[in-house]
Amino acid sequence: MARNKLDTNDPHILHLAKLVSGPNAILYKQEDLLAYDCDGFTIERHLPRAVVFPNNTEEVAKIVKFCSENKLPFLARGAGTGLSGGAVPLNNEIIISLVRMKRLLEVDFENRRAVVEPGYVNLKLTNSIADKGYYYAPDPSSQYACTIGGNVAENAGGAHCLKYGVTTNHILGLEVVLPNGDVMEISPNGIADFPGYDLLGLLTGSEGTLGIVTKITVRILKNPEAKQTVLAYFDRVQDGSQAVSNIISAGIVPAALEMMDKVAIEGVEAAAFPVGHPKDIAAVLLIEVDGIAAGIDEQIQLILDVCKKSHVREVKVAEDEAERARWWANRKTGFGAMGAISPDYLVQDGVIPRSKLPEVLERIHKISEESGLRIANIFHAGDGNLHPLVLFDSRVPGDTEKAIRAGSACLKACADAGGSITGEHGVGIEKKEEMRFVFNDDEIKAQTDIRDVFNPDRLLNAGKLFPTPSRCAEMKQELKRPEHAK
Amino acid sequence: MGLPELEQNRPCNSAGLGNYLWNDPPKEYKWADCVHCGLCLEACPTYEQLGQEQHSPRGRVHLIKSVAEGKLQVNEAFADPVFQCLDCRACTTACPASVDVGGLIEEARGQVRQAMPLSGWKAMASKFLLETLFPHHERLEAAGGLLKFYQKSGLQKVVRKTGLINIMPDHLIEMESIMPEVKTSVRKKYKDINVIKAKEKTKRQVAMLTGCIMDVMFSDVNQATINVLTRNGNDVLIPKNQTCCGALHVHAGDREMGRKLAKQNIEAFESSEKVIVNAAGCGCMLKEYPELFHEEPEWYERAQEFSAKVEDIAKYLYDTGYEIPKAELKTRITYHDACHLAHGQGIREEPRDLLLHIPGVEMVSMPNADRCCGSAGVYNLTHPEMASAVLESKMTHIPEDVEMISMGNPGCMLQMAVGVQKYGRNQRVVHTIQLLDWAYQKEEVQGGKNHGTK
Repeated sequence: MARNKLDTNDPHILHLAKLVSGPNAILYKQEDLLAYDCDGFTIERHLPRAVVFPNNTEEVAKIVKFCSENKLPFLARGAGTGLSGGAVPLNNEIIISLVRMKRLLEVDFENRRAVVEPGYVNLKLTNSIADKGYYYAPDPSSQYACTIGGNVAENAGGAHCLKYGVTTNHILGLEVVLPNGDVMEISPNGIADFPGYDLLGLLTGSEGTLGIVTKITVRILKNPEAKQTVLAYFDRVQDGSQAVSNIISAGIVPAALEMMDKVAIEGVEAAAFPVGHPKDIAAVLLIEVDGIAAGIDEQIQLILDVCKKSHVREVKVAEDEAERARWWANRKTGFGAMGAISPDYLVQDGVIPRSKLPEVLERIHKISEESGLRIANIFHAGDGNLHPLVLFDSRVPGDTEKAIRAGSACLKACADAGGSITGEHGVGIEKKEEMRFVFNDDEIKAQTDIRDVFNPDRLLNAGKLFPTPSRCAEMKQELKRPEHAK
Repeated sequence: MGLPELEQNRPCNSAGLGNYLWNDPPKEYKWADCVHCGLCLEACPTYEQLGQEQHSPRGRVHLIKSVAEGKLQVNEAFADPVFQCLDCRACTTACPASVDVGGLIEEARGQVRQAMPLSGWKAMASKFLLETLFPHHERLEAAGGLLKFYQKSGLQKVVRKTGLINIMPDHLIEMESIMPEVKTSVRKKYKDINVIKAKEKTKRQVAMLTGCIMDVMFSDVNQATINVLTRNGNDVLIPKNQTCCGALHVHAGDREMGRKLAKQNIEAFESSEKVIVNAAGCGCMLKEYPELFHEEPEWYERAQEFSAKVEDIAKYLYDTGYEIPKAELKTRITYHDACHLAHGQGIREEPRDLLLHIPGVEMVSMPNADRCCGSAGVYNLTHPEMASAVLESKMTHIPEDVEMISMGNPGCMLQMAVGVQKYGRNQRVVHTIQLLDWAYQKEEVQGGKNHGTK
């Protein structure tokens, strides 16, 4: 099981190996590194220089300090389920894998908070406090496998973020290893609203470009007293979109309000968790309300009425927890399910004002026709967060490039409709050029200046989040970067 | 081992796939469904232990694909993650696109074994077990006989007392201490009987796979299976020419031997309409026989016909109906999902239902019941360290306050018995069908007659 003997003369590898404890704590052979050449975003693949597996904050700090002093590019990785390429080693980085730091350090029910290490898996937190009636709200679809450290880096969202907010709304404190190896605590003891600048907010969603999070204090919530889930089928996408708008206008804030279109339905029904959606419908809505038991029935009735007024073909309420779980498994495995109808997919992540749903979906439909690639839509309709999934076959020459262009065009459509290019997956490598759809050069420069305060040598996760510099000033700065960091 | 072996063993077909140079390579359509989403990671027991992606399902699929793309050779660095896999199939359950990772792993192992044949003592041990022993029932019986002699003669006591046992490797000591007492195999017992008749009116006729390990080490489970089948109106045939199912061979990458055994079984059960299996690993293998014959169309078809006839005992009883016993067993039990039953065959509720219908059986649910126990065929012999780490993790989930742990696979039964012994627990490890049999027996002793059916 353990292969501790090192078969290399590389002084950096030999030194790094001494900084980490535990069996087989460094990978450096090409064959072993292959599995780390990408994350959930598979279009760009690059081999890392090595992967190290620290067990605690001190080891992370030592590794970072060593990398910093020797000008070795490095980045942090969790479960590698990210969808924008945030953990792809573009510059032959040393990958600091945080998966062995997976302890639940503390649960404080009285103050409703928990302290976890970054490699702790999202769903495990909810599972380990469920018996006491508590849960952790942010629920990305990858929650079976993704780590809370990764959630912080990407400011992950999820189906239930419509009512409860995204990761940043649930982070109370962080311990961070800065790019020079210093360890910093932000908002120690998880005290809310610590004075000074909102560094928690800055770090959360910084996509691993400002520091490496080694300890996280999160908010935990009491389970809602009651919960009901509705499934509604529509013959026209416009009717489904209208129903979404009308539900919100009726004053209801559902815990989740999800939509899938025809191609997406074909995918989930062909995959491992089908629920028997009719094949000929144009859209399905999954609507969940929760809260105190009194009033839930009225809300459900209101939702049923709204759906009927929006020409719903069929609408039903989940009969029991098992049915509700089946509906959610079908929805939550939606991305991976595309494997059943396409060899590859590229998922996009645009945000638009809810009222623009029909118009943007129409444009996405046109993009699909023009590119000749099928596009499935799975999205958090309630908060206008679209996930167009461009289906393609990387074995067909030119298909990958076509998919990238189609994906970019979808984001342009979102930006043009007054929206944004990412809701929850992050920018990473994938959408860095599209940042120009929403920011001008000055705005981008202001943000890279902030990054450089934390990460002046740009050794930590370089080449992510912001577009390749186009202006002279930034080009000059870029030239100052150490040679091997590029 | 490494490249030199590669050169020594020239490819035997010209239509290779990237760096897969031999017949029957991993199939592209199987990995094409993987979109690298990573939802399989937490389902994988080896990833849980090692936290390294080359030891995760998607990592392994990625490596298997990389060989086909010519980025990686079939060498030791490839063999390690491919053989470290328990082949437990939990990843296929977790996968949104149901990627057949187990099938890919087995095909990849076939390539590894052809590229790098085992050498030294490993080759001898493997050849002895897989080629000389398991496929030959009479030899296995003889080995069982030796084991029986070892247990009965007092030699076992001598070995244990004298400390001779201390020179055995740890995992073998653990194994030795839980070896079930060997009884007469059902194949020997019924060798002169063509059909074991139903106790009352015959409703159906079934053929039974007795298995190799099962019939020597757990002949009482086979006997219980026959008792339950005949009690419920089934005539039971034990075809003479049947042999080992080949699962251990296919898991070890010896697909050639796997095919040989498969053909023998397909022929042996040709005239049977139903093939009943009480070992999850064997049942899963029999159902997957077609996978071995992608390059032999005639056998592929025969294998498909054969596979359609195979059924696990619990599922068979659940589907065809059985008498609910009248006697009460008065026991608290828990149920462990054998990987090749739950993940491999999708059989989860049927055995539980069967147990819950035995009067007086109280079922305590086991968290993560479908997590591998680390037995995985001969994995606990080839990868003892990982197998015991996986077992340790499994044991933490076994409820304290139960008297028995029920399951549907002999490999798991041995491994769980090791766990019970090693961690000072006191549960009895039983096969699901044994509990039903005991209830019937108790009922007969009490002279009660039951009319309830399910």
